[in-house]
Order: sequence, then structure tokens, then C-alpha cells
Amino acid sequence: MSRPLTAEEAGAIAAAAGLALKAEDAARLARAISPGLAAFAPIAGTLPLDLEPATFLKVQRPAEPVPDQEDPQ
Amino acid sequence: MSLSLRPSAAAPSDPALLTLAQAGLAIREGVLSAREAAEACLARIARLQPRLNAFIAIEPEAALAAADAADAALAAGEVRGLLHGVPLAHKDMFYEAGRISTCGSKICGETVATTSSTALARIKAAGTVRLGSLHMVEFAYGPTGHNVHFGPARNPWNPEHVTGGSSSGSGAAVAARLTYAALGSDTGGSIRMPAHFCGVSGLKTTVGLVSRFGAMPLSFSLDTIGPLARTIEDCAILLQLMAGADPLDPTTSAAPVPDYLAAAEGDLKGVVIGIPDAFYVDDLDAEVARVLDETIATLKRAGARIVTVALPDQSQLSGASQIVLNCEASAFHKSWLLSRPQDYGAQVKARLENGFGIPAVSYLEALRWRGPALAAHLEAVAGVDAVLAPTAPMPAPTIAETDVGGSPDAEAMIQRITRFTRPVNYLGLPTASLPCGFTRAGLPVGLQLIGRPFAEATLVRIGAAFQRETDFHEQMPEEP
Repeated sequence: MSRPLTAEEAGAIAAAAGLALKAEDAARLARAISPGLAAFAPIAGTLPLDLEPATFLKVQRPAEPVPDQEDPQ
Repeated sequence: MSLSLRPSAAAPSDPALLTLAQAGLAIREGVLSAREAAEACLARIARLQPRLNAFIAIEPEAALAAADAADAALAAGEVRGLLHGVPLAHKDMFYEAGRISTCGSKICGETVATTSSTALARIKAAGTVRLGSLHMVEFAYGPTGHNVHFGPARNPWNPEHVTGGSSSGSGAAVAARLTYAALGSDTGGSIRMPAHFCGVSGLKTTVGLVSRFGAMPLSFSLDTIGPLARTIEDCAILLQLMAGADPLDPTTSAAPVPDYLAAAEGDLKGVVIGIPDAFYVDDLDAEVARVLDETIATLKRAGARIVTVALPDQSQLSGASQIVLNCEASAFHKSWLLSRPQDYGAQVKARLENGFGIPAVSYLEALRWRGPALAAHLEAVAGVDAVLAPTAPMPAPTIAETDVGGSPDAEAMIQRITRFTRPVNYLGLPTASLPCGFTRAGLPVGLQLIGRPFAEATLVRIGAAFQRETDFHEQMPEEP
């Protein structure tokens, strides 16, 4: 999910993460994070299965040697 | 590695007005004592601190004692390093064992560090003298320079205006010649913003080039450490000292560190600079647009080839950057946010709450996209040495107009100011912000040169060549 959130949705997610918010704070939070979520929405849900965060390092440092891997035998 | 005084540089009557390179050489060659350098900086600090609020702590007795020790060592034939006896101050977030780093906060104000920052330790090993610690935005989480615990830092060019943040004291102190250079950190623009607003040079480094061990964290994916100084050559000196693998920070690159100081001798022949065709040229303040045009013309005259580049959608990068920053900052602060919420300033507390509302899957998608996003950027800038863009759409706003605390409009204001810096953090790219002009009201305007991963040497080359063609970096705010 990456789309603008309602105050109720944002408040519920925050509460599940351990932060209980008043309604007006949940509304402020939803207003603050929704532009970022909306901007990222075209990407969200489109990424291939075998893509993991470490791909960033492979793109950033293509010339660096990969650490030796132990022989599984 | 060699340092030289530029033949054109007339020795100023006030030693504090030397560049970092000049001060280091003058002390090593015995032309200037470390005590004279420290006294010159301390005299300016005493005069200007009440106006600028650039320091959190000033340590004159300790600084002079350390300077005397440096002079004694030099007299005995011991040169500790490239910056022997040079007085410096840094953003108050680099831990030194046995000392308090406030991180601009009330919460850390009584915590004595048990470890030392690798970046800071490497600079200290070159012989520097500590002047004190510099102002910063609380926990480095804000782009303006406001701080409810220490008051706002003030812009040396006009104290009614912000310095930019979060390395607010670093920008103000370097611009006002209170320190020869300063360390900062950049997670969403925190080196480039004060460099732009205060008219100094700043170098945001590639993620993984400089160890973050012992530096206050904000976002483990996006945090970078870098220098602010009067010239890009001075930035290169600090980078040369700091860069390179650190076993205490396993995210650092193991690649050999280039000679950044040699790069500062290069010219612009054969250099290709890309100008974005969108986003970074949209909705610009008219004076920022003028400075951009003038800078392009200067670079052309100096031999650079200017081309237009079509970058991938920067709004998507910016959105991903915001998601990652919000979530990681909230995770770092969860314990204190729940146990000591009253000890945060309203704006920082509100921003730290933001990450709690973002779904975990959105955060992980934003992390997973980073590799393909960087690959798409590198494909778009193939054949281009650096991309030139404004650091911010506007010159420094006033302290009053940006004093919005934790209001519902605060985040929109912050996002507006950092619009041009956030995409770079997501991609982890190196970027230099250089002083490129002034508004009619006398406020500095900086432009950013965005490089390829680990290509800081190219940015130093271009920046140094540009600074040989211009004198914006030599301009100094008038004292009242």
C-alpha cells in the first residue's frame, strides 16, 4: 500500500506501532506523510520479486570485490 | 599530498580570514602560530556569537592550551599532520569519548560519550585544535536552523534570516570566519542547505565514503558526513583526512581513496555538465534562476560543455526519500519519544511521529527501489560528469516566516525548502553546494553539482576550477 492515508488509517497504524495519537495529531501526521506516499505510489506494487535492498550497493559499487564466500562443502 | 598558498592570495591582517589550506601551511611553516590562529578565531567568536548564535559551547581556555601544546610540539620538530595547530569547531553531533555532544537536544545534554566519531578522530589526528561545538537543529531533523532549546542560529549575511539546517552552526560559523571549516551531516540536505543560505562551500559525500561510526544517527540508509568550508579545496582537505574504509562502520566502501587535493588542480577542459530539463528549473525564485544562468555561462567560458539532461521523475525519488527518512528516524527515537516526549521541540516531535504512520511495506518498497532508481539515474546521466542544479528554489527565508513549530503547515514548508536536496539523498550521490552569486538584497545563492557515486574528485575538480573563475566564495558578510 502506498497512497495518501486518512487520519483514521494513520492513527491506527501509529497505534499498532506503539504510538497513541490524539485525533488532531493523527490528522496532522496523515497530512504530513501523504504527499510522500502519493509521490511514491506509481512505484509501489510494481517491483519485481527478486529485488532486495542490497541491489543498491551492487549498482553503487560495481567494481568492489565481493567478499569471499565459504565453500559450502 | 601537497598544499600551497595561492599566489594571488594576499595575506590578510586577521589570521582568521585565511582559508583552511592557508592556515595549515602558515602554521606548519612557522609564519603563524597555533595560538595566534586560535586567538584570532576566538576574538571573532566573542564579537559575533551574540549576533549569530553559531556555537553551542565555546572553550577558549582549552583551545588556547591545545594551541600552545601544538606550538610547543612544532618547536620540538613534531608535525602531527596536515592541520597541525589549526583551530576548528564542528556540528555538535560527533561523539568524543568523555565529552557531551548535545545533538542540539535537551535529551542528550547530560550524556557523556563513551565512543569517538571516526571522522572526527581522523581529523583530530591531523593535529587540529578544538574551539568548541557548533549549533545544530535538534537531532539534525530540520532544514532551517530553528532550535527551541538553544534558540535559532542566525545568518551572518542578515541575522533576520535563517542559516539553513540542520548544520546551522557550521554554515554560520564558516561564513563569519569563526572557524576555518566545520563538519556537518546531510540526510535530506543538511550540509547543502546551510552552504547555500550562508554562502559557503559544502560537500555531501557518497553514502559509504565516510564512516558514520560515532556520529549521531538520523537515518541509517541516508546519513552522510561531510565538510563545510570557504572553498571546495578546503572541503577536499577534510575529505582526504576522513574518507575510506572503517572496520567500525561496515557500510563503508573498501575502495582506495582518490587524491582529492590533486583533483583541485584540474581544469574544465573536456568536462561535461548536465542541466536538468525539468524539476530543478521549475518554480525558481527569479534571482536563483538568474544565478543559474550566470553560472552556466561562467562554466561554458571556462571550457565546460553544457548539455541538457532528462532525469527520471524526481518527485518519486523525493517521495521515497521522505518515506525512508521518516521511518528510520522514528525507529531510532521510539524509546525517547515514548518515555520523554516533553523533552523534544514541537516540530521535531511532530516529524518523529510521522514515521509511525507509514506502513512497513511502503518503507520496504522504498528501500528495495533504491538500486533500480540509481541505475536509472546513472543511465540518464551517461557521459555527464556532473549535474548542475539550484540547491534550493529560494534564497534564505526569514527566521520569522519559517518559525512554524509543529503546526499542521510545518511539513509542507520543510518539503518546499528541501525539494531539490532530497532526491540526491535517496540515490546516495555526492553533491557539492558552491556559492554562485548574490541576490539584490545581499543574500548568497548556492548551486549544487551532483556527481556519480564516489566521484567526489570530479566535483572538487569542477568546483575548484569554478572558484578560480569567480570570487563569490571570497565574499564575507559585513560586521555591524
